[in-house]
Amino acid sequence: MGSTLGEFEQLVLLALVRLGDDAYGVTVRRELEKRAARSVSLATVYTTLARLEAKGLVDTRVGEPTPQRGGRRKKHYVIVPAGRRALRDTLRTLRRMTSGLDAVWDA
Amino acid sequence: MSDGRRPRPPALARRLLECVAPRAMREALVGDLEEAFYADVLPARGAMRARAWYWRETIRVAVMRLPFVEGEDDVVSTGDSSMQLLAADLRFAVRMLARRPGFSLLAILTLAVGIGATTAIFSVLDPMLFRALPYPDAGRILTVWERDHDGSESNVGFATFTDIARDNKSLVAVAAIGSWQTVMTSTAEPERLEGERVSYGYFDVLGVQPVLGRAFRADEDAPNAPRVVVLSDGLWRRRFGGDPSLVGKPVTLGGNPYTVIGVMAKSFENVLGPRTQMWTPLRYDASLAWACRTCRHLRAVGRLKPAVDAASARRELDQLSANLIRAYPNDYPASGFALVPVRDWMTRAVRPALLAVFGAVALLLVIACANVTSLLLARAAQRESEFAVRIALGAGHRRVLRQLLTESVLLAAVGGAAGFALAYAGLVLLVRLGPADLPRLDAITVDARVLAFAIVVTALAGIASGLAPALHVARGDLQSSIRRAGHRTGGSTRTRSMLVVGEMALALVLLVGTGLLLRSLGRLLGVNPGVDPNHLLTMEVQVSGAKYRNDTAVRAFFDDALRAVRAIPGVDRAGLASQLPLGGNFDSYGVHIELKPNANPELDPSAMRYAVSADYLETMRIPVKRGRSLTAQDAAGAPEVLVINETFARHMWPGDDPIGKRVRVGAPDKGAWFTIVGIAGDVQHVSLDAARADQMYIPEAQWRFADDALTLVVRTRGDPAEMASAVRSAVWSVDKDQAITSVATMEKVLAASTARRRFLLMLFELFAVVALALAAAGTYGVLSGSVAQRAREIGIRAALGATRGDILRLVVRQGVGLAVAGIAIGTAAALALSRAIAGLLFGVTATDPLTFAAVATILLAVALAACAVPAWRAARLDPVVALRSET
Repeated sequence: MGSTLGEFEQLVLLALVRLGDDAYGVTVRRELEKRAARSVSLATVYTTLARLEAKGLVDTRVGEPTPQRGGRRKKHYVIVPAGRRALRDTLRTLRRMTSGLDAVWDA
Repeated sequence: MSDGRRPRPPALARRLLECVAPRAMREALVGDLEEAFYADVLPARGAMRARAWYWRETIRVAVMRLPFVEGEDDVVSTGDSSMQLLAADLRFAVRMLARRPGFSLLAILTLAVGIGATTAIFSVLDPMLFRALPYPDAGRILTVWERDHDGSESNVGFATFTDIARDNKSLVAVAAIGSWQTVMTSTAEPERLEGERVSYGYFDVLGVQPVLGRAFRADEDAPNAPRVVVLSDGLWRRRFGGDPSLVGKPVTLGGNPYTVIGVMAKSFENVLGPRTQMWTPLRYDASLAWACRTCRHLRAVGRLKPAVDAASARRELDQLSANLIRAYPNDYPASGFALVPVRDWMTRAVRPALLAVFGAVALLLVIACANVTSLLLARAAQRESEFAVRIALGAGHRRVLRQLLTESVLLAAVGGAAGFALAYAGLVLLVRLGPADLPRLDAITVDARVLAFAIVVTALAGIASGLAPALHVARGDLQSSIRRAGHRTGGSTRTRSMLVVGEMALALVLLVGTGLLLRSLGRLLGVNPGVDPNHLLTMEVQVSGAKYRNDTAVRAFFDDALRAVRAIPGVDRAGLASQLPLGGNFDSYGVHIELKPNANPELDPSAMRYAVSADYLETMRIPVKRGRSLTAQDAAGAPEVLVINETFARHMWPGDDPIGKRVRVGAPDKGAWFTIVGIAGDVQHVSLDAARADQMYIPEAQWRFADDALTLVVRTRGDPAEMASAVRSAVWSVDKDQAITSVATMEKVLAASTARRRFLLMLFELFAVVALALAAAGTYGVLSGSVAQRAREIGIRAALGATRGDILRLVVRQGVGLAVAGIAIGTAAALALSRAIAGLLFGVTATDPLTFAAVATILLAVALAACAVPAWRAARLDPVVALRSET
């Protein structure tokens, strides 16, 4: 495909990888808040997830309802192999671009 | 507090979310928001902020137009762009509105009235309250005032001004302004002009320069410097045909040659003196008697240095003031200077009234929106089966919601356009009817700001009036309403009833405001002005020119003029005075009482000075309560005498007889002692609602200088207006080169003094009547809708033996119930809100029970009238027809 990933898309995909089976709107938002120190709206998370789904990088399945959600079912997101590949490519590029720069920043 | 009920996400937001979220995502999204609400946001931020967060999320979902995979959600699933959808919605909306022209016209007119009135009022308020004054960095321009012993602001003396100008470190430039009325004689007929004598830095303070020629130089602002003048654009065009070569040429003003050195731009607005037509340097001679430290007759204005704020400038000037008081303890009544931003100074007198009008028109707009909401609800109830079918055919809730909002926004847009036209027409009328003393009246225009305001108001009105009906339809389980064939619409009737109650309440608030203002005006017009305004003609006569350089010549002219006027057939009496009650002028002097010396003479009382001819009091019919009046025998050289008013007598000689007491006027230590010979009735000088003030009448011939402008008052036997030209000719028969201005009957002068109040009342009355009509229409709409819906019930009642009276009562009870609820809520609101206009009231309290009772009665009567037709229709309902129609 050759599509590049935006910065926020990378963060969301990384969150999916970290969360594994437990990735849905609330947990993705929580993960971004905790690890990336970003306060994002659910609407933004969903917009990005929908875009990733349209690009064929993630897949969805309908989960179980819980009382905490007023009996509503979750929509789980999982990263598919194409998504892993795109993420790996992007991160590899980043790593190549940043290698050796630590010395410069620490100085 | 929270242990009983645990906080929940806002229900309205959730309902909205369910409408706007795409169907495929709805469950997950709503569930996620709910889970995050309880698990993450509520514990971290508390109930209030969590609810706010929920609202924000909802709005974000609504506006983001998420690029979800739409699936079956949209009717048009062929990937139409949102622009195409919008166009389709618009086309459909136009068709729907055209199909019901009566409904559409009513809604559009209602919105047009609301939006038009709001826009017109905004365009009047904008230049006064919101738009920046037409000077660079206008917020840094401050007026500077001395303080009086009661803390009020007073004019500045020249010596004090000079000290401020020299010693302050906060102001880039500071200028003094003195009044200047003079007569131009170099061209055609003599004309009296309004000017200002200003310090040379005046235009630097404002940050404006002449468009032709130049502004003043420092060396021109000296007692013996050659006289120069800068003209306003208006004067330049009117008197000199806009001659571009006028700069450098001479003009004659008050008999003296002046050189025109500059002309201001057309766009220049002199907000510190709106009627000013020209400016000349102050050329203040500090050696003259009126340059004393206590002679406060100048205004001052300064511009803050870039790095200085008003607070620190105030502190610095207070320090200067303290130094001055140490140096001249007998020359200052109180410490400190007042620094007032120009805009505040300019609008202070009218601001409360303007804000009250804006509040009133906002209420009207809300009522109009509520009315349209009610109309749309009724319409939506009629269309329920249409929506049910559309949804059954696959239209998403979001799609229906959008369609309905498109319709209401379209209504508002047409209403807004009509309203804008209405505002434009109304504005012309407002400016024409508006009192001439409103600040920046000429700056009122319909410009881009007003247009932007109208557009925002229109959009808000469209959404506000359309949202509730749209949510009703989109939320309601419409599938079941197909089964019910769209007959029972309990929910929307309840909402409409609530709207009517709200409209009634708001209308009551407006009516109470109007009633209070009306009663105030009534009280005000009942105030005795102290003079008899009937058959009284007034005009100002000013002398100028070389032959009136000395006081004897001035006095001889006025004596001759008065004699000529008295000889006119039809003139009963005539007199002269240095100022006219309610005439907009003001002149007062310190009065120092013999044997009652104050340590600081600045704390002695001051009284309004009327330098008058014999017969002035008699002409005005100001009664002499004790002692004697002033006569022709009180001439120059005769013992100095004066007459004071009752308030002054009570104020200074409580329980004692002032007649025979002696006072000095002006300087405490020099000048003649005037003996009090009489006590006259009080006169309202500044305004009818002003507090009684100390006043004194001094024979003009005995005053230490001759006023060069006096007001001539003439008591006529017939219509005073018809005598004007005869009186003018009589004055001109003495000297035809002298200027006569401000010709008006005393009744006109009196009316002009209440012009603002009458204007304010007129606006309130207009808004209140429209509000009342809208509330009545709303009540009528709800009741007739309800009667139509309950036709079956009413039919059964009639069939079971209910009389027409019973059914009539049934409907009327419903209407009266709505009105009573509206009156109760409105009274509570009015009690809270009427305090906001307390400052505009006179002789009546903001909670005046009579006004409240009268207004409640009016509202109830209107509600009853609105019930009449639906009740009559219900009572005439044929039970057979009603029951059959229902099957």
